[in-house]
Amino acid sequence: MSSDQDKLIAESVEKALQGDMDAINNIEDRVTRSKAKAALVKANREAKAAVAEETPRAEKSKAEEAPQAEQTFAAQVAVALEKKFPGSLDTEDVNGHIQMKGEQWYEAAQYLRDNPDFLFDSLQCVTGYDYGTSEDLEVRYNLHSMTHHHAIEIRIKIDRNDSKIPSVEQVWRIGDWFERETYDMYGIEFVGHSNMTRILCPEDWAGWPLRKDYETQEMYHGIVVPKVKDGWE
Amino acid sequence: MGVLENRFQDNVVVASMDKLLGWARSTSPWFFQFGLACCAIEMMATAASRYDLMRIGMIPRSSPRQADVMIVAGTVTMKMSLRVKKLYEQMADPKYVIAMGSCATSGGPYWQYGYHVLKGVDLVVPVDVYIPGCPPRPEALIEGLLKLQEKIQAERPLTKKIA
Repeated sequence: MSSDQDKLIAESVEKALQGDMDAINNIEDRVTRSKAKAALVKANREAKAAVAEETPRAEKSKAEEAPQAEQTFAAQVAVALEKKFPGSLDTEDVNGHIQMKGEQWYEAAQYLRDNPDFLFDSLQCVTGYDYGTSEDLEVRYNLHSMTHHHAIEIRIKIDRNDSKIPSVEQVWRIGDWFERETYDMYGIEFVGHSNMTRILCPEDWAGWPLRKDYETQEMYHGIVVPKVKDGWE
Repeated sequence: MGVLENRFQDNVVVASMDKLLGWARSTSPWFFQFGLACCAIEMMATAASRYDLMRIGMIPRSSPRQADVMIVAGTVTMKMSLRVKKLYEQMADPKYVIAMGSCATSGGPYWQYGYHVLKGVDLVVPVDVYIPGCPPRPEALIEGLLKLQEKIQAERPLTKKIA
């Protein structure tokens, strides 16, 4: 009898897997029916596990493609910027970031924030960069979109003797402190900022600490600044 | 029944005024509660129940006017150094300063390249006790405070100084 029962269960589960639940529901013996249902659940679970085993491989191939996709995305943004603001790109060569010129940066920032394709509503970081004592300075903006979950880096080179760049404080409010910090450390003036003062150093501090040619001042309000206690080393 | 109870007539205690003052001052040096960096965490731990600074008479005060001891706990930047000086000037005499940790003692890890860290708080205020460590353990801070108490006890504020 048990072999008959097994055969019946196997057959009905086979049918149920193909979508015919009646094959199980029509079994008259209650015990056999519940056994068949249990077998169906088990079969379903095994099928699911088999699918899950396959997915990591699928994700992996996706991850391999991702860097390529990001590069393409940066290039897309660059193309859109060039189309909207001709001559705003410093170099056409897009390598994960976009190298721009400073003149139209404020308008470009508004465009990047409001364009439905990009929607960069979050300015994640503003930082300065000094290429060397006779080279340019650079400002870097890291943008992220909360809606599309994509990110881009914008780099803008500026002359170290005339370090001015449009402020994007009005575009992203967080830019207020970011720009003040960049000003504090690199002396880059953000034109249009509502309160372009030092944020970390004292207001009357001399020099820009993170520039390569920075030299610490000797005295500050009558206090010696560099190390003075000889013989300690 | 205590040992001393009911054994004396009306009485006087004879002590040197200097020593009495020193005793009173040294056993209740209230400290000014402000922290500048990670040393402040150790200072808080010292003031909390496990190490319990109050058992040696030290109570944190939130105002420099009420404090006798300033524990400079942490890195003093050039910007802060002016404030530290101002706070010290607001304390009432007699006042004492403890430089806690290597930053307050000498600039610590910012000794050579920290462009706006004060190279030791003794450049702006007179320091009574230096406590090494980065940061010093609560035991080290307590040791420093006991050293300060010894120093206060040994003072003779009323005695005429002979040059």
